Amino acid sequence: MTCLWCGQPLRTDPPLAGLLTWRPLTPPQLCARCLARFTPIAPRTACPGCGRADSPALCADCQRWESSGQVLLHHRAYFRYTAAMKAFIQQYKGLGDYRLHGAFASVLQLSARGAALVPLPSEPAHYARRGFDPVVGLFGHLKLSFWLVKADTAVPQAQKTRAERLLTAQSFTAQLPVHPPPRVILLDDLYTTGRTLYHAQAALRAAGYAGEITSRSLIR
Amino acid sequence: MIPTGMQLTDEEVQKVGIVASSLAQAACVAGIENGRCQRCQQRSLVALPDGRQYCSACLTMGRVTSRTKLYRFPSGPSEGGTLTWSGTLTGPQAAAAAAAIASVTAGRDHLLWAVTGAGKTEMLFPLIAHELGNRKRVAVATPRIDVVLELAPRLQAAFEGTPVAVLYGGAEWPAQPAALTVATTHQLLRYYRHFDLIIVDEVDAFPYSQTPMLAAAVAQANRGPTVYLSATPPKALQRAVRRHQIGVSYLTRRFHGFALPLPTLVVLPLKQVPKRLSPKLSRLLQAAVQGRQCLLFVPRIDWLAPLAAALNTQGLRVQTAHAEDPARVATVQAFRAGEFDVLITTTILERGVTIPRCSVLVLAADDRQFSASGLIQMAGRAGRSQASPNDPVWFVARHITKAMLSARHQIHALNAVGS
Repeated sequence: MTCLWCGQPLRTDPPLAGLLTWRPLTPPQLCARCLARFTPIAPRTACPGCGRADSPALCADCQRWESSGQVLLHHRAYFRYTAAMKAFIQQYKGLGDYRLHGAFASVLQLSARGAALVPLPSEPAHYARRGFDPVVGLFGHLKLSFWLVKADTAVPQAQKTRAERLLTAQSFTAQLPVHPPPRVILLDDLYTTGRTLYHAQAALRAAGYAGEITSRSLIR
Repeated sequence: MIPTGMQLTDEEVQKVGIVASSLAQAACVAGIENGRCQRCQQRSLVALPDGRQYCSACLTMGRVTSRTKLYRFPSGPSEGGTLTWSGTLTGPQAAAAAAAIASVTAGRDHLLWAVTGAGKTEMLFPLIAHELGNRKRVAVATPRIDVVLELAPRLQAAFEGTPVAVLYGGAEWPAQPAALTVATTHQLLRYYRHFDLIIVDEVDAFPYSQTPMLAAAVAQANRGPTVYLSATPPKALQRAVRRHQIGVSYLTRRFHGFALPLPTLVVLPLKQVPKRLSPKLSRLLQAAVQGRQCLLFVPRIDWLAPLAAALNTQGLRVQTAHAEDPARVATVQAFRAGEFDVLITTTILERGVTIPRCSVLVLAADDRQFSASGLIQMAGRAGRSQASPNDPVWFVARHITKAMLSARHQIHALNAVGS
């Protein structure tokens, strides 16, 4: 095994406890030095609404979402959008280097017990170009529920300004199973304004889902 | 733009807007065929969830997948160019250049084995002028972008009025095909059978030496002989020379005519380095900065800060530089201006740096990071000026390794040939 980012040989010592449980092993794919380049977000001091780092009180963005009548997603993110993370996203999503899809598998651990893990799908045109779905790639080691479908949009979110992003129209539709679990965790790669995730939440509600909806992303 | 001799993917063709009439002349091949990427000829394919494959070797140049189409545009002779440089070569330089011209005319590959600081670039001028005179296309390629940026203005000054294309990652593509091209070896992937002569500078430098794709890129972009330039040629080239498969010319003296400084091997316990320096090592460092500046090479980036702190307490003015340091260029410039005594650095500065009066000390020279060729390059930073050709070089280590002995032996052998 070599580190996915720097290509140096990877030494993994799985802890004994990990070997003794029935959970599948997800050994780290990045070496300790490369993983240390990315800045994790401390959950204690993150915004309770959107997971923004160093904002123990509800941040201005979330207050705006709340005042516009949205039920907050209580979003949690794992890493900040630093220069190192931008380089990772550029290599993974921009260049389309699918080898990186499992880079954070050992960090992105979520239990699917009593909850459905619903990834936000990419647009059909983007999937056709990339050949893979970046979010499904990142969370591919988990048991996912593919409830959401996205229609093609004219301009990708990444090429818009903040104001334009917030004005984006709904492009998700949802199809629920007969007996959906009581909780849903929406999964995305990047939380910027929250627009996409709140659209996904609205699509689930429109399809008749009544349970609790929260969300996670790799980056905030 | 006119894509003469280029090899472009359908995405690149669309992006730069190539007219249908020149597209019709291009040969179109599938991006991946027979388990091989057709752009870089490597077999490092990765599967995508939708059933396609992509090439991970040349990914940084834009992804080639099994659905990609590659267009190979036809090439032709150049409009030529003339040498406007008015300097003169020394006797050995002229002889080496003549041997290279003879090899190239005979269609043979050639190795220019020139010691560090021999004046390699000037030696290329007659060769390039000879080829351009015959309306050939010439490329000077090197694995390092900083070498491209240094070479390009020098070549443009020597061939005034001749169009020179400069290619590196992020640079604008030339609108017109140029007679003379200066490029990183990666950029040659965008050409197919276009050049009549490719000169590869620093063949043994990273990443060319570790990346078979780059040798394949040179072979594919070329339709004539290749000339290799190195102070420390890799084993495969040395073998080809021994078997008379390629031509060779040696340049064993520096332009100033003095021998290369021979490294002194010093065995010292280095257990407390980099935090503390033993008295012996301190004395050695004091001797290194006596009337000179000192380049101090270390094997690891995390040694830089503690070592700088330890040297600071001895009253030396110290700065550090490494590959990911954004202020690297400015630091080296300040060092060149003599603003401080010791520059601590990793292997990143082993090539292309010329400091007039500068001693070299390689700390932990027995580290696996340091190959024989790397050590020769580092030792080659010393004694580059006419005023002080005998700057001292030390390899300080806990043990003497094969690489250290080999480096010393090779320098000794080159000096012996030269005298």
